[in-house]
Amino acid sequence: MNAVDLTAVTKTYGRTRALDAVDLSFDRGVTGLLGPNGAGKTTLLRIVATSIAADRGDVRLLGRDPHGSHAELTEIRRELGYLPQELGYPGDMTAFGFVEYVAVLKEWNDRGRRHREVRRVLELVGLGDLATKRVSKLSGGQRRRVALAQALLGDPRILVLDEPTTGLDPTQRADLRRTLSALGGRCAVLLSTHQTEDVAALCERVVVLAGGTVRFDGTVTDLVATAAGRVWLCDDEPGTDALVSWRTGTGRHHVVGGTPPPGAVPTDPTLEDAYLLMLGADAHAVRAPA
Amino acid sequence: MTTTWHVHDDLLAAYVAGRLDAIVGASVEQHVARCAECRASTTPLVDPRLLARGWDGIRDAVESPALPLPVRLARRCGLPEPTAVLLAAATSLRTAWVVGAFLALSFAALAVVLAGGELLAPFLLVAPLVPVIGVAAAYGHQQDPLETLVVTAPYGRTRLILVRTVAVLASVLPFTVLLGLFLPGPAWLAAAWLGPAVALLPTLLALSSFVGPRVAVAVVALGWSAVVLFSLRGLPATWPVEATQQLVYLALAAMSLVVLAARSSRDRRIGAVL
Repeated sequence: MNAVDLTAVTKTYGRTRALDAVDLSFDRGVTGLLGPNGAGKTTLLRIVATSIAADRGDVRLLGRDPHGSHAELTEIRRELGYLPQELGYPGDMTAFGFVEYVAVLKEWNDRGRRHREVRRVLELVGLGDLATKRVSKLSGGQRRRVALAQALLGDPRILVLDEPTTGLDPTQRADLRRTLSALGGRCAVLLSTHQTEDVAALCERVVVLAGGTVRFDGTVTDLVATAAGRVWLCDDEPGTDALVSWRTGTGRHHVVGGTPPPGAVPTDPTLEDAYLLMLGADAHAVRAPA
Repeated sequence: MTTTWHVHDDLLAAYVAGRLDAIVGASVEQHVARCAECRASTTPLVDPRLLARGWDGIRDAVESPALPLPVRLARRCGLPEPTAVLLAAATSLRTAWVVGAFLALSFAALAVVLAGGELLAPFLLVAPLVPVIGVAAAYGHQQDPLETLVVTAPYGRTRLILVRTVAVLASVLPFTVLLGLFLPGPAWLAAAWLGPAVALLPTLLALSSFVGPRVAVAVVALGWSAVVLFSLRGLPATWPVEATQQLVYLALAAMSLVVLAARSSRDRRIGAVL
């Protein structure tokens, strides 16, 4: 049994089809979701987090049906940690108060055990010393880590993280990677991001979504391999058929896709190159050519 | 201050075990308090569980946020501790809000007293609306920035809203009943305002599920004001809360509950009943 099993899951908002018959399964390990804005990443994560219901298709979380009985839904939610893309904080709550509030919602009723757990998750995200500080006084990155701390309460078996690295500086991102990779051994971590470096550094598996469908599902190495021989470095401006290109700091042009310009030297593709090539024309929604 | 003399191991062990008499004990304590080296030697002699418990206690006192006064009072009356933590986050149970509600009720009662009992409208207008506004302030999207997490938590959004509703009602109930008893006019007035209050609460929740709490509370407040103002046109002062009207409120409450139930069974947002 997989932690998450989605079969032909479809979700529409008005006329927009956010997810179109998506089949995906996740188990232990860190899976990265990549895709341009509007690809359906957040919708997919919200369905797995039991925040919204799919219109059609079958959703199984830990072998249970979230659309089933209330008891079944509650059982799932006890094993679930969710970091939403956007989260508001009541202005005068402290970091400790915020995580404790969520802990009560997650049924940590014994005061002593709850406080120890709140401290544990705050330590885990490196905020042990800032527990008594008001959330409104914390920096953006620290707030994001408070939000992450609540998702880690009770060592959930499914961890759903919608853009966890937004607002974090490189050191904090590295710390977060360490925390998440440790968690990946114990639970199914599903994270969406725009940062291909995070996926390359952290995820055993990567799923590329575009237009509500799965474009790629495999290992990071396999995704990078799809771009082999299609990325070059050259001295002159590339032709117009290149998918994207930009002038790098060394003065040479990094060219992705199209026909190799004269004098171009093939270079090792990065995950980002492969991702852009995978999306093809949709890539322009992600990054306009330099 | 530095010192070359240190407490002997046996003496230190006896001190930690509490086997020293008061005078020697106090001397060792004086020294240990000033000497980092001896403090360090004390550490392995103390039961780590005891230290952890003590440290937990200190952190508990420092880190866990203080509950607002109304919630602390409710704790005294037997409110479970986890529920107190949830209620402490609701704006309408903060001390400032409760004081505001009491002031509004007091002024309404004062207006009735000054009018010599001829006019009950100020009290009848304010009393049922205070809990309604309190619930609206504790509920919903715009008011609850943690909405996304509440929806996906095992505790359940519906349960949270109902707990808050009961808490808001309970927080103003004793004071309002007391005011009603002392007002000129019939004694049953002290309880009569509960009829519309109990009807307006489910109406607010039902309306909120369509238009959100802000619009809903405005509609309910305007509706109830219209009823009370209507009674000023030559009707008896107690008209808004007389038996026939109470039946209408009961019907309204029942209807709102049916709407809520129907909404919850069709809503595609899992668990988001209200």
